[in-house]
Amino acid sequence: MNLSLVDPFVLAQDYPESTTGSLRSGHATCVRFNRKGDFLAAGRVDGTVVIFDVETNGVARKLKGHTRQVQSLSWSRDGRYLLTASQDWKCNIWDLSDGSIVRSVRFEAPIYIGELHPWNHFKFVVALFDDQPLFVDATNREAIKMTLPSAPKRTRYDEDEATTDKQAAQDAKQNTTVVVFTASGEHVISGTSKGWLNIIELSTRTTIYSTKICSGVVIYLRVTSSGRDVVLNASDRIIRTIQLPNLTAADLDPDTIDMEVEHKFQDVVNRLSWNHVCFSSTGEYVTASTYNNHDIYIWERNHGSLVKILEGPKEEHGVVEWHPHRPLIAACGLETGRIHIWSIIPQQRWSALAPDFVEVEENVEYIEHEDEFDIHPQEEIHKRRLDLEDEDIDVLTIEPVKGSIIEEENPFRMPVQLDLNDSDGEEEFIAIGRGEMRRKSPTDGRDYTLEGDAVASGDDRKSKTKKRR
Amino acid sequence: MSDFDSPADTPQPSGHRRSTKRSRYDDSEASTPRDSSPDELADHQPYRSRLSTRRDSGPRRRAHSSDGSVDELDHTYHERNRDRNRDRSSSSSTRDSSHSSPRPPSPPTYRPLKLNYQLKFILKGHRKGVAQVRFSPDGRWIASCSADGTIKIWDAATGKHMRTLEGHLAGVSTIAWSPDSNTIASGSDDKTIRLWHRTTGKAYPATLAGHHNYVYSLAFSPKGNMLVSGSYDEAVFLWDLRARRLMRSLPAHSDPVGGVDFIRDGTLVCSCSTDGLTRVWDTATGQCLRTLVHEDNAPVTTVRFSPNGRYILAFTLDSCVRLWDYVSGTVKKTYQGHVNKKYSLGGAFGVSGSDGFIVSGSEDGDIVFWDVRTKDVVQRAEKAHEGVVCWVDTSPGSDATVVSGGLDGTVKIWVNIPEGGEVVDGMNGVKLEQDGVDADMVDVKIEDRDGYDDTLRDDASMDGRRSPNRGRGRNGNSRSHDRMDED
Repeated sequence: MNLSLVDPFVLAQDYPESTTGSLRSGHATCVRFNRKGDFLAAGRVDGTVVIFDVETNGVARKLKGHTRQVQSLSWSRDGRYLLTASQDWKCNIWDLSDGSIVRSVRFEAPIYIGELHPWNHFKFVVALFDDQPLFVDATNREAIKMTLPSAPKRTRYDEDEATTDKQAAQDAKQNTTVVVFTASGEHVISGTSKGWLNIIELSTRTTIYSTKICSGVVIYLRVTSSGRDVVLNASDRIIRTIQLPNLTAADLDPDTIDMEVEHKFQDVVNRLSWNHVCFSSTGEYVTASTYNNHDIYIWERNHGSLVKILEGPKEEHGVVEWHPHRPLIAACGLETGRIHIWSIIPQQRWSALAPDFVEVEENVEYIEHEDEFDIHPQEEIHKRRLDLEDEDIDVLTIEPVKGSIIEEENPFRMPVQLDLNDSDGEEEFIAIGRGEMRRKSPTDGRDYTLEGDAVASGDDRKSKTKKRR
Repeated sequence: MSDFDSPADTPQPSGHRRSTKRSRYDDSEASTPRDSSPDELADHQPYRSRLSTRRDSGPRRRAHSSDGSVDELDHTYHERNRDRNRDRSSSSSTRDSSHSSPRPPSPPTYRPLKLNYQLKFILKGHRKGVAQVRFSPDGRWIASCSADGTIKIWDAATGKHMRTLEGHLAGVSTIAWSPDSNTIASGSDDKTIRLWHRTTGKAYPATLAGHHNYVYSLAFSPKGNMLVSGSYDEAVFLWDLRARRLMRSLPAHSDPVGGVDFIRDGTLVCSCSTDGLTRVWDTATGQCLRTLVHEDNAPVTTVRFSPNGRYILAFTLDSCVRLWDYVSGTVKKTYQGHVNKKYSLGGAFGVSGSDGFIVSGSEDGDIVFWDVRTKDVVQRAEKAHEGVVCWVDTSPGSDATVVSGGLDGTVKIWVNIPEGGEVVDGMNGVKLEQDGVDADMVDVKIEDRDGYDDTLRDDASMDGRRSPNRGRGRNGNSRSHDRMDED
């Protein structure tokens, strides 16, 4: 409801400008905003998932259950459930109303990515290392795993024994590296290790359309909130945006689908690779973190031009995420595990502090009103003032705020934990006496160890978490 | 233009006011420790707390000996107000004529609002003036805080006393409920903010310390993750409640902050001050987005956002309640008919059917109800309390029960009896006002006894380490065992 008061120039700014802060709780490796944008989930090296409150920049909840690094996160639509995939080969679905694990599904291989169905928080897809992707229905305690195809759909026109055999051999070697749901949840878009993009219909679990999009491995896919576009990061150092056909149309003929690359974003000078890509809230912008480089790039999709290179802390960033409706970007620092935030620092408008002051662009010649310095008796002024108040007003009817998500019947609200135990080392510095601080030694907080030691610390954790449970 | 303009009387009060305030504070600190004995508290409490005045920290003491005495500050005040009263009587509703208001007829489509609030319960137990009373967001509980340093929780439906929360070292000026109705925050003259479990009556271990002076007003964010506090130290603080961390300090005002409130979606905070300003802040950035100031520059003591968040209701010490459109920065309505010159009174929006009303206390002991649209006084509960009615709150439900707290130390619950109240008078245990008093006396006696228990406990624990738990273990628990099951 603050929109009516905020400077329109600030509102018009739709991508972040500068770094505005950072969040820290252990060593975070992946982050994800919920749909409302009030919470940010962060997965840590030690397997803990931390939910940050974006408003207070504080920890809202900690979810402990994984024993290895968290690989990917996915929120349910209402923000109540969170799917986490971890390097311990497990996927957990958490209920944030009490922080419990409602489902835990174990797989036979490491998980690349797990993505929750947009409308059903008990269904999700996973892409597995060296294995077929799975569609998991965990409605019942015993989760049902259904295999999805990796092999692209070949057209039948060039039927030729030799090529078919060759293709079959190739397809067998092909793996799915990333899966995402379309907005309706009826289809899954998957990317393979050979650069193919497949659209899989969930009801039949068959590939209805395939296209070879690039030569390298598809690293990451992300669909806009509207579901019309998809951004694809591949190992050939090119980020592609692709418009999706309307897959829910009644008269959809899979053979007529034509998916074309809309834009290709790359850095031809530095030949940079991209760690992670993501759309802006509206899908107008694409942002990416760079490999072996400290910058975050932002392109706009209208003309496909680079609009901003965000500089920030001197470290490489992994996962980068754009806030669902604000010009705010969060990215995980690879070295420190800190979550850095880029946003806009609004300027205080001084005229807001004194209502009789107005900010003007240029000098204005003041013209005195005819009656400006007329002296009226107090009573008359009062009476006039009160008589002016004849407007009909309504203090009760709630007008919907433009641009905000329409609230559902019973929106989920995460309970506020006032007795949160965040004693296990949020801060790098600990007080050792009055006015004295020292940096935490690496031994008493395993959160800060580098990737190499992560195994050892993971084991430590395991025993610890067991005890805790 | 405005009667505040004359330089002769303005600078002096402001300077004077502050210096007396501080010196008084220092005095008491030096001579007697603030928490030394109950008697000491008793000595200066009744005149403090929200109840008390902002312009007259001097008179606070003086009033002890002679109630009628007016010092120079009061004098200027009265003079100003006399003018104003004259204006008002000439313009529209004075106190006497307010029932048959001379306002022009309202638009033809509009059916006039009718209210008939009757006393239902008298809740006694506080040993000193009640500064604030608040309904819990679920409407089931009432919390009241008092200059005696305690907070009491009552059952809104039955009027039963549920718990007494003790722990503050000085009078409690303000309370706020968390959105889930399970936590109460209280702000006190001991400069701290405490959080309490409603169900156990225990305080959370860490207090929110940071204000340099009396904490005067509190509000929870709609999500319950933040708390905004206004203090006599002229600052507005935003707290991260989970970490009990001061999140943001808003360089708000140049005078004590009287009231703060959160808008319904949590994006805005408003604050008001004795300096006559009402400021609207962006929660996310901490920037001031709008300042509302009336020409007369009267001290603003309480602010509240309207239920839909479009307007701000501001209570000022010129006996007016103004409804501001904070987007355009204009006053939309001015409600008059009560007396508010000295104390920071509070009120609330209420709903009756589809219409809104505003209710406020008055320094002459009345509770005044206004129609939001027509500005008419639609009901006046005369002599609702003995002395000042400090705070009135409405329950969130559609029936809009009203609760009031007064300087006389009582809390009263009022219910609206629609059309022909005399007929349905015996229903639901609701009696006529007179009967109500009698009938409730039974209840009151119990509460009274409880009140004495408090006294005993207080005496015992006041000097030593105050542990509400220990005290409660003895008698508090036994009293409320059965109710704990409810929770």
